[in-house]
Amino acid sequence: MAEVRAEIVGNVWKLLVAEGDAVSAGDTLAVLESMKMEIPVHAPVTGVVGHVPVAEGQIVQEGDVVVVIEGSSTDA
Amino acid sequence: MTQNAVTTVHDAAPAGPRDVLLQRRAERAVRVEPRGRREHTARERAEMLLDAGTFVEMTPMRSSGGAGSGVVAGWGLVEGRPVVVASHDAAVASGAIGPVLAEGVMKAQRLAIERGYPIVYVNDSGGARIHDGIFALHGCGGIFKLNVEAQQVVPQISVIVGPCAGAAAYSPALTDWTIMVREQGHMFLTGPEIVRAATGEDATAEAIGGADMHAIESGVAHLAVDSEAEALDAARRLLSFLPSHKGGAQNVQDARPADEVAAQALPHLVPEKSSIVFDMHELLDGVLDAGDRLELMPDHGRSMLTVLGRLDGRPVGVVANQPAARGGILDAISAVKAARFVEFCSRFGLPVVTFVDVPGFLPGTVEERRGVITHGAKMLKAYAEATSPVLTVVVRKAYGGAYIAMGASSLGADASWAWASSEIAVMGPGGAVALLHRRALQASDDPAELRDRLAAEYRENVARPYLAAEAGIVDDVILPEETRSTMVETLRMLTHEAGHRG
Repeated sequence: MAEVRAEIVGNVWKLLVAEGDAVSAGDTLAVLESMKMEIPVHAPVTGVVGHVPVAEGQIVQEGDVVVVIEGSSTDA
Repeated sequence: MTQNAVTTVHDAAPAGPRDVLLQRRAERAVRVEPRGRREHTARERAEMLLDAGTFVEMTPMRSSGGAGSGVVAGWGLVEGRPVVVASHDAAVASGAIGPVLAEGVMKAQRLAIERGYPIVYVNDSGGARIHDGIFALHGCGGIFKLNVEAQQVVPQISVIVGPCAGAAAYSPALTDWTIMVREQGHMFLTGPEIVRAATGEDATAEAIGGADMHAIESGVAHLAVDSEAEALDAARRLLSFLPSHKGGAQNVQDARPADEVAAQALPHLVPEKSSIVFDMHELLDGVLDAGDRLELMPDHGRSMLTVLGRLDGRPVGVVANQPAARGGILDAISAVKAARFVEFCSRFGLPVVTFVDVPGFLPGTVEERRGVITHGAKMLKAYAEATSPVLTVVVRKAYGGAYIAMGASSLGADASWAWASSEIAVMGPGGAVALLHRRALQASDDPAELRDRLAAEYRENVARPYLAAEAGIVDDVILPEETRSTMVETLRMLTHEAGHRG
């Protein structure tokens, strides 16, 4: 399991994945809006999207979990 | 019987001066066997750092109670240039620092300072040797004093290959760059057992002072690598960008053109829309000489890049915002990272080459509580004090205080340019319009449309770099593909009096 966290405080501008989606390492999972920059949140590992604890428009702090990836290749 | 005894003594007698010496040397080779997980002996580490066959050990017989001094110190060459090395010998009392070990380190430090050669410390020490009491502390303090003295004279590099605890941890912090070996090197003031006894906190050595913790979070280490060989190789690479001493000749090599593919991509690299991120490394590839480059602190304060590279064959220190990490913002951590790097480059005469694309200082309670004002000011001070050439290029956004902090001409940059598509302004178009046209926006039937239109006008009329160029705040407006040649010409002019051009 990999918890993908926000690297900066900001607003969840776009959520590009939902629970159950297969993702590859490097895929963009979400885009945060902070400092008028579109800050992509990338998948660190390949796996399946598990829990998505945030919604579009929500403010996240640095370090908050944005997406959880289950069954990631690091678990194998 | 008597006859036999005499014969025996007589047989042993040929152990003349030559044999005694050879035996002493053989014993010494045994003494420096590694223990535990460590891969190499103290002597092997010194030899790995240096060009093959060039290591000369100072006072190899120096010993404390017959066990050895606890440090293998001496000198040799790195790519043909002299370097001093002091390598802790963990086979002697776990490298704990007593007065004799301290004496050996200080002897190496004095040699480096007096002769003007860089010094590399290979650290593997449990800290002050408790058995030696106050004499151990006195020795540690003596090393620190010479660390500080050396700061103004020669580059100092610390390689952490084992524990580096208590007093031993301060010496690396007084040197310029610290390289740690993962899972093997640890730095902390107090190890897990004392931490548990003192506060009840239950933490592993890795969590308290592991290489990744220090390279990512604390910033105490500037590189984390996987093996001793990699660590010593990184030290060699680092030295290749540095002069032997302050004021010494730069290690200029044959100029190499920038990577051809990256150079051709340069005009299209930076997205026109200022909110879209890109990888600043690709910009560096398109401007700097192709060839070896060493990024320091790559995992700490990642929105800022600090890289040693070459331009026109000359070593330069590159400071650049990294939009691909945290949007390229400035904050307390990245400001300290940049300030430290600029100060180092200036001290050893390396030109500071700055590439700017910064959305600003990250605002908010978290940063203010971290003291971002104090830390940001360190960047201003470092640039303002820099005595080596400072060349600055605004490649996209340069807003507000962050624009000044990124080596603006007002702080003393020798030359500064802005790409034709860049924006330099006291604040970003969105924020500026909200402030300047507050009433008009409140009165508007369609404030969103008005805001966008005014922001576009602001971007074109106020933030374009021509205003800055007309005011002499940047020297010129240039195209991406002109960047390298423009910087090279200026760098040649600025470094001409050094007279060391290849």
